[in-house]
Amino acid sequence: MNLRRTLAFTRRSLLQFRHDRRTFAFLLIMPLLMILIFGYTFGGDVKNITVEVVNLDHGLPSGTNPLLPQGLFLANNITKNFDTDTFSIHETTNTDDARQQVHDGKAWAAIIFPANFTQNFLTLLATQQDANRPTVEIYLDASNPTISAAVIKTLSQSLQNTLKELTATLNTSHIDLPITITQTYAYGGGDTRFIDYFAPGVISFAIMMVTTMITIILFVNERRNGTLQRLLVSPASETEIVVGYALAFAVIGVIQSIVVLVAALLLFNITIIGNIFLALVVVLLLAFGHQGLGILLSAGAKNEMQAIQFIPLIIFPSILLAGLFWPLESIPSYLQPLSYFIPLRYGIDAERSIMLRGWGIGEIWIDILVLIVFALLTLSASVLLLKKKN
Amino acid sequence: MKVQSIQQKQVRCPTCKTIFTATGSPGEIQKITCPSCRTLGKVTFEQSYDATTIVIDIHHLTKNYGKFTAVNDLELTVYKGEIYGLLGPNGSGKTTIIKMLTGLLRPTSGNAEIFGKKIPCKSMMKNIGYMPQDTAIYLDNTVHENLAFFGGMYGMTKDQFEKKEQEMLAFVDLLNWRDCLVSTLSGGMKHRLSLACALIHEPHLLLLDEPTVGVDPELRATFWGYFETMMQKGVTVMITTHYMDEANHCSRVGFLRKGKLIAEGRPTELKQKTGTESLEDAFLALTGRKTP
Repeated sequence: MNLRRTLAFTRRSLLQFRHDRRTFAFLLIMPLLMILIFGYTFGGDVKNITVEVVNLDHGLPSGTNPLLPQGLFLANNITKNFDTDTFSIHETTNTDDARQQVHDGKAWAAIIFPANFTQNFLTLLATQQDANRPTVEIYLDASNPTISAAVIKTLSQSLQNTLKELTATLNTSHIDLPITITQTYAYGGGDTRFIDYFAPGVISFAIMMVTTMITIILFVNERRNGTLQRLLVSPASETEIVVGYALAFAVIGVIQSIVVLVAALLLFNITIIGNIFLALVVVLLLAFGHQGLGILLSAGAKNEMQAIQFIPLIIFPSILLAGLFWPLESIPSYLQPLSYFIPLRYGIDAERSIMLRGWGIGEIWIDILVLIVFALLTLSASVLLLKKKN
Repeated sequence: MKVQSIQQKQVRCPTCKTIFTATGSPGEIQKITCPSCRTLGKVTFEQSYDATTIVIDIHHLTKNYGKFTAVNDLELTVYKGEIYGLLGPNGSGKTTIIKMLTGLLRPTSGNAEIFGKKIPCKSMMKNIGYMPQDTAIYLDNTVHENLAFFGGMYGMTKDQFEKKEQEMLAFVDLLNWRDCLVSTLSGGMKHRLSLACALIHEPHLLLLDEPTVGVDPELRATFWGYFETMMQKGVTVMITTHYMDEANHCSRVGFLRKGKLIAEGRPTELKQKTGTESLEDAFLALTGRKTP
């Protein structure tokens, strides 16, 4: 392999992108737009859910129980602990009104604490008999699964927090709470936002999309304009052609990732705890593999119009099966094995592990290995494709 | 930069048998008048070449596409320093022959040697300049970037290239357009750049596949000027065309029909043999059709 010839390809294609401003803009703006749109609109956390709270709890007046000299108003405490970002609370005392609000679509849920709520709780603690369990009633509009999940989650979190506080104030040698939960975070620290989870995926997805699309279009044009014939008639070998282009895409891939990372850091203050260079290596491997894929696909398209028809074919499996938006566990189990055949899956997994868990090569070597094999396979197949003569 | 060697030729007037001298450039057909009896006549100036050194040697070359035979048992030799014109109608196998010579197509049977090397041979390719039918240059790059790319492709160093680039730009008259994007150039300029890209690495053999299709008459004349200049520098040129009139510029022409070489020789020889006035009539006569 001759370096001067190889670099001639790299230089020419990079210069081409410099002249073709629109394509260059596409290379940088598409991933930026994705991170902006998803970062701002698709925050993942639902906010300001209108909730009716009906608090009928009589509580335990102060001075009636020696153990609790301040008295206890359990429902009040739980209500106070509601996350006010998530809930937009409207308090009322009329159960029927509250239900009607939900029924009319004016509120998503009505949370009802009965009059004997605190009383039953204390009885349960003292006697350990659950004849009269304290009950919170939720009347829920579950037509939106994301919102109903958020309601349940907020309520149970607030319950947990209230119980924790209670354990702290109570003399625990006398009263045992039925369950204690101790939470420690392996990764993520509990404040991981959707954008933190999404940014590594966007980088991988953007590299995949751009590299595949641009390669298909470049090679369709090489074929159609007759320049490919010239290359094949020159002393340049097919390997030099493929490697020359690969180097160009490596440069573009690194620029793209840096732009997306800087944007994500500045605008959304995303978490990156791992090695950024390892993250770039994964990006390069993704770019190489998909460049090979692009060359192979370009053989199946006669013009740019036909090349564009490949887009949905590439996008949909990647979005749905590679775990870009949703975890792989949310795919039906009989479809999950398909995700093993989507190279992007390994790229996204590796980037997330690096950026969110701070993992190194020791932990993600399987992802890296799969991406290397994918790149070697598609690139050598495209060399063979170029060598094929009629 | 059109360099042409002037030829002198002894002509004998068919009417009064006077012998006189005509002067012209190679490939030219000149109308002359006999100085003594005023009879009108025509004289053709031949291209000369070195018939001792073989550049392209083709034996039993055949190409089948399924049951269709595109090139049928072709035997052909091209000598150093000649312009060899492959003539024939569309679909007669011209492009297929060029593509087999460049290694883009694999022959069904038979073989070919270029500069004594059996093709396909990557290391020999640096001696060949190839210009495909399409313009085949990069539209989103500048004139300079295209030349630099093809120069790099042939492994030219920066110094070698810079020297050669000026010469090439001057040759195809694009000096003022060096830094223009190719997409902004006119069709004729693109064609000239395409030729420059095929010549940048100083090839010894030029394979031109219908270089004058869709080219206006003025540029066609310019192109033939370029080819003749190349020839005089000792470069061998093999060209395909279906414009019979321009084939008079060739040293030798081969008539192709349905993948077979039906006649070969100097343009004048072919016209004499068939007793016709033009190569077009000669071709029709050789294919057994009546001249109009």
